[in-house]
Amino acid sequence: MKFIASSTTLLKQLQSISGVLNSNNTLPILDNFLFELNDDSLVVSASDLETTITTKIQISKAEESGCVAIPAKILLDTLKTFSDIPVSFTIDDKNFGIEISAGEGKYRLTGHDGNEFPKLPTLESTSSLTINSLLLTKAINKTIFATGNDELRPIMSGVFCQLSTKSITFVATDAHKLVRYTRNDAKSESDAAFILPKKPLNQLKNILGNQDTPVKIEYNNTNAFFSFENVNLICRLIEGKYPNYEAVIPAENPNKLTIDRISFLSSIKRVAIFANQSTHQVRLKITGRELVLSAEDLDFSNEAKERLSCQYEGDDMEIGFNSKFILEMLTNLETDEINLEMSAPNRAGILLPVNSENKSEDVLMLVMPVMLNG
Amino acid sequence: MNRQIIHMDLDSFFVSVERLLDSSLNGKPVIIGGTSDRGVVASCSYEARQFGVHSAMPSRMAKQLCPQAIFVRGDMDSYSRHSNVVTKIIEERAPLVEKASIDEHYIDITGMDRFIKNSMLWSHELRESIIKETGLPISFGLSVNKTVSKVATGEAKPSGEKRVDAGIEKLFLAPLSIKKIPGIGGKTFTLLRNMGIEKVETIQQMPLPMIQRVLGENGQSIWKKANGIDNNPVQPYSEQKSMSSETTFDKDTTDIEQLRRVLIKMIEKLAFDLRKSKKVTGCVTLKLRYSDFQTHTFQTKVAYTASDHVLLDKILELFKKNYSRRVLIRLIGIKFSNLVSGFTQINLFDDSEEMINLYQSMDKIRKRFGFKAIMKSINLKVKNDS
Repeated sequence: MKFIASSTTLLKQLQSISGVLNSNNTLPILDNFLFELNDDSLVVSASDLETTITTKIQISKAEESGCVAIPAKILLDTLKTFSDIPVSFTIDDKNFGIEISAGEGKYRLTGHDGNEFPKLPTLESTSSLTINSLLLTKAINKTIFATGNDELRPIMSGVFCQLSTKSITFVATDAHKLVRYTRNDAKSESDAAFILPKKPLNQLKNILGNQDTPVKIEYNNTNAFFSFENVNLICRLIEGKYPNYEAVIPAENPNKLTIDRISFLSSIKRVAIFANQSTHQVRLKITGRELVLSAEDLDFSNEAKERLSCQYEGDDMEIGFNSKFILEMLTNLETDEINLEMSAPNRAGILLPVNSENKSEDVLMLVMPVMLNG
Repeated sequence: MNRQIIHMDLDSFFVSVERLLDSSLNGKPVIIGGTSDRGVVASCSYEARQFGVHSAMPSRMAKQLCPQAIFVRGDMDSYSRHSNVVTKIIEERAPLVEKASIDEHYIDITGMDRFIKNSMLWSHELRESIIKETGLPISFGLSVNKTVSKVATGEAKPSGEKRVDAGIEKLFLAPLSIKKIPGIGGKTFTLLRNMGIEKVETIQQMPLPMIQRVLGENGQSIWKKANGIDNNPVQPYSEQKSMSSETTFDKDTTDIEQLRRVLIKMIEKLAFDLRKSKKVTGCVTLKLRYSDFQTHTFQTKVAYTASDHVLLDKILELFKKNYSRRVLIRLIGIKFSNLVSGFTQINLFDDSEEMINLYQSMDKIRKRFGFKAIMKSINLKVKNDS
């Protein structure tokens, strides 16, 4: 097996899929890229068993088909040092010795039998839909920060995708915050729902970048398969029943705060510096048209208080939040003004954009308060 | 420059408070502590000490040594109220105060020469006014560092004053028993005593490496203390690092239901204290002591919380996992550590509104009428457990 490729093209493509590689694998073969050469097309895969990404790489010359697993770290480290030059790979099909020659240099390393690389699951009885890549990356960006990290509750570590004939809804929650992102301009032919793990979504987001291209999604009960341009990503779905998130979104929220997003954001950022650095809790006290933000760290006698003018309908109230959650949400909203809707100090606060320009999207961010005592 | 550190210690504090409340106790041997078979002496009057009674001694033994002693159950809340009054008086006058325990204070008056011409007189006046205002006897020692001052107070007691001038700390410590050095407890004392070391003087004469070989890491600090060297500053405020509670059973038990009830009760109390002090915990520890005195502790991390049910789940999980041998348990304890200020984050799915409201109402009732005003029904019938 033999081929020649440009060092920069190869490096770029390999780097884009290398994010899926784990730093310590139970299966040593997963520390490798799988190179498959068929006639004159080269397909490279990287996998962690849960997620596999393959990409088709442009090559200038190919001889003898075959497949081999090449140690990922050595290959990436080597390619990084080259300027843009053609690199030729010669692989001995019997002992998997790899010879790389570039410019005046020759480098040897040993690969592994490509057939040891875990096989891609074949997708049976799938349904499919196609959505735009910009829509997909936006949905990922809006939701992924709200996913949980609790190993005991794997269901919450993913993004819940709810497909219907009218819209697609993406939901993420870690039980303290929740994001529901609905797009009315994307549709599916039938109703379906599945939970996508965090890692492949991050990979998708990184590979797609700002590309504007249709993404085909095929799915069944166990796997989802994304394909666009020269990249394929297949991932295992998170099994289980997603919590009934609709039931916990309070419907009646008579206390409504309208405030400038950026000034709210920067005030919280400032005040939170004075909060306890493990709990990051801030207090919102709303009376009339005035919002007072405060934080304190009893252990260091740190204290901060800021006054903000706002529009407010409802009873005076005092509520405490983890500032990290609010900050993440405010940075993920885009409008100039936002609404914070509340009902009681013990119940969820709901952040909504005001006058969103994009009429086809519906964003709801929910954050649970802390139990202020005394 | 030599520092000037005062150590003030209330004499047999708990007894003194009880005597304030009941003057018939004056002049009689009084013992504060649990009266059950497993109780220990928390404090005792000087009259009782003459019979050989000392704190931390089993109550049963104290009863044998001094059968005429009056046993008082003790009321921690009242003690801490009186202690706070004393702290307030000291803080009004002194520039730098460290409250080392419920009955001990360190005061640093270094560099106050312009205001305090005679430090002995100033301390004497402070002591007099504490006695006058609170009616509690107190002693103090004045020296160049915390260790020497503390030892001096011990020598001054009861109801006395002692000054150890700079330069003679070593001479002052030399003839004393090694037991007087803070940090030399039961085990170290026996170890050193078995080596024939009786007086502080002997430690002073020993080379440092030798004592380090005997006592390990602790050796250096003990050697320094014995030589009157202590650079620790007087720290006005130290944050509380943990909260704990322990229960020794009247009779060793394997009754899972009883153990569970006791755990629930302790958690309820500690979690309430946590919330009252506006703190949350990040680490819980379970302590089990078996009837053969083997003691095991198990700890686990939790997401910062002060919720009864979350903490209870964690503790019961630890208990279930680790209490597998059917051995009689003598003592069970829990500890919350890694405390930070803050409030419990409400969970979207696990915490129902009713439950949160219930907790908050219970806390409100307890703040007004005391912790025992309301409790889980499971613990109604086990008042005698602890």
